[in-house]
Amino acid sequence: MSRYGTNCAQSTREILGLIATVALLPAVLPSVSLATECVIFVIATLGCNLLLGRVGLLSFGQGIFFGAGSYATGLAIVRLGAGPVFSLSAALLLGSMVAALIGSLAARRRGVYFIMLTLAFTQMCYFLAFGMSGVTGGDNGLLGVSRPPLSFLGTTLLPLDSDLSFYALCSIICVAVYALLARVTGSPFGAVLVAIRENESRTFAVGYNPLAYKILAFVLSGMVTAVAGGLYAMFLRFVPLSNIDISMSERILIMTMLGGVGSLFGGVIGAVTVVVLSHLLSDLWSRWILLLGLVLIVVAVCLPGGLWSALQWIATALRRGVIGMSPRRAHLPLEK
Amino acid sequence: MASMLLSQVANGVGIGIIYFMIAVGMSITFGMMRFLNIAHGGFYLLGAYVGFELVQQTGSFWFALVGAPICIGLVAWLSEPAFSVLYRLSHNMQILATLGLALVIQETVVLVWDTVGKHVAAPGGLVGAVAFGDFVYPRYRLFVICVGVVLAAGLWLLLERTNYGAVLRAGTQSTDDIELLGIDIRRVFAATFGLGAGLAGLAGVLAAPIRGVEPFMGPEALAIAFVVVVVGGLGSFFGALAGGLLIGIIQSTTSVFWPAASGVAMYVGMAAIMLIRPRGLLGRA
Repeated sequence: MSRYGTNCAQSTREILGLIATVALLPAVLPSVSLATECVIFVIATLGCNLLLGRVGLLSFGQGIFFGAGSYATGLAIVRLGAGPVFSLSAALLLGSMVAALIGSLAARRRGVYFIMLTLAFTQMCYFLAFGMSGVTGGDNGLLGVSRPPLSFLGTTLLPLDSDLSFYALCSIICVAVYALLARVTGSPFGAVLVAIRENESRTFAVGYNPLAYKILAFVLSGMVTAVAGGLYAMFLRFVPLSNIDISMSERILIMTMLGGVGSLFGGVIGAVTVVVLSHLLSDLWSRWILLLGLVLIVVAVCLPGGLWSALQWIATALRRGVIGMSPRRAHLPLEK
Repeated sequence: MASMLLSQVANGVGIGIIYFMIAVGMSITFGMMRFLNIAHGGFYLLGAYVGFELVQQTGSFWFALVGAPICIGLVAWLSEPAFSVLYRLSHNMQILATLGLALVIQETVVLVWDTVGKHVAAPGGLVGAVAFGDFVYPRYRLFVICVGVVLAAGLWLLLERTNYGAVLRAGTQSTDDIELLGIDIRRVFAATFGLGAGLAGLAGVLAAPIRGVEPFMGPEALAIAFVVVVVGGLGSFFGALAGGLLIGIIQSTTSVFWPAASGVAMYVGMAAIMLIRPRGLLGRA
């Protein structure tokens, strides 16, 4: 893998891998709704991965965009009786506006200040949503979100009431978002983002404005995350206040970092792992988060590249063992 | 109206002192070791719960007020060598690891004390209010302000007038130079880590009779510590004090004029200060 973005063949391979994954998930997992939750959070981690993996911005603000998208979609459906295309576009629009605002404030500071600001803004937006209970439903959540059918000029193309058809919609959006972000990270724009991560001052010296690029990355990330939030609102059929609180930001961040930010595909692994584990383990032991916490500590200390780097390492080891590839070409993908 | 405003400013000072106690440990820990501890809110949470347990067992709030912070501080001080594994990691991995630790602390608290919130009563002598002419003010909140003022003065003396304080202040500038002078910076840091944790624990005990005790109060404290540090400047004692007081006063005075906005006010204040003075009130550029 090239250090500066992924090459075309690899991103095609990854997209094919993602299509296979979303096709298999409902068959492998105990329920379609669990698979839907997986796919929605894959979209959210893709947004987070763009900021963290490409630009190196660790944002505790992803919950803001997720929540904003949930409320935009929910309100469009409840108040305006809008269809899925309009409601998800509303999420896209609100998400990008909020992200532009938060990004233009937080990205002025670097390093830990940036991280602290994103967390503080998350808390602020939580209190905003809590306070504007006339619009958001406050603590009770926004109730009565339906799943209007996908229709064009009055003809119904896809009724979303059944779990499987809604899953199909989420999967298509997920693959489209992945392809879009793979295209973006492979583009010259993506190369500038990586340059900012590696050395911001030098990128500035070369003639790029890092702040503008960071804000653009924020907008893109906010759009993607907000669409995930909008789909989650339709999935749950209501918008709980927890969609916008700190723990949602933490959840998205944990999925992204557990999977690994070396590749967009890391987020896919992270999201599916956390969603499936939380479903399986929360039935067995309600305090399973304690185990997740321990796993995060171990990953941080021993496996900074996340599960993705572990998989790559295993794949490399297997290839060496099976095909007998010369050790010169084999490399350890573990980032340091 | 004037007395109402005065009482809100006093409330703000009381809350601000608690915010200062939460933030100062995290700020100095970062200043010295470049270690960002997301689990710092966990010390506040543990302080509140250990305090609650000590009140239950001994029936004395005073015992809890002294015992819980010492307990938290000692545990943090002794476990500091385990944290040292994290110092050499990147900031992102430090955050992942301490985020994991914060979850472990929170879930352990739930395992031991359940998710239902607990009530801690203020000690008998501090129930009710005192009157200064027209101005009536709750005794317990007055007590919190007094504790805070004494504590801030004591900390100031410790930092400015003792050998330990001199080493600590120098350490936030350059740890390498300190080590060249033959001082074991690790021991100083372990003590500072314990002190910071103890202060967050004390904040937890002091806040318990005002806001109750529940297992999810950690992230809230963390967000407040971040706001205080962004406003005041990272790694600075007086920055944390000024930031804490300013944020506390903003929060409580807004609750008079516009109650609905009191939750959001401190963050708006933070954003404003950040735009006007990006490095914080007392932060270094």
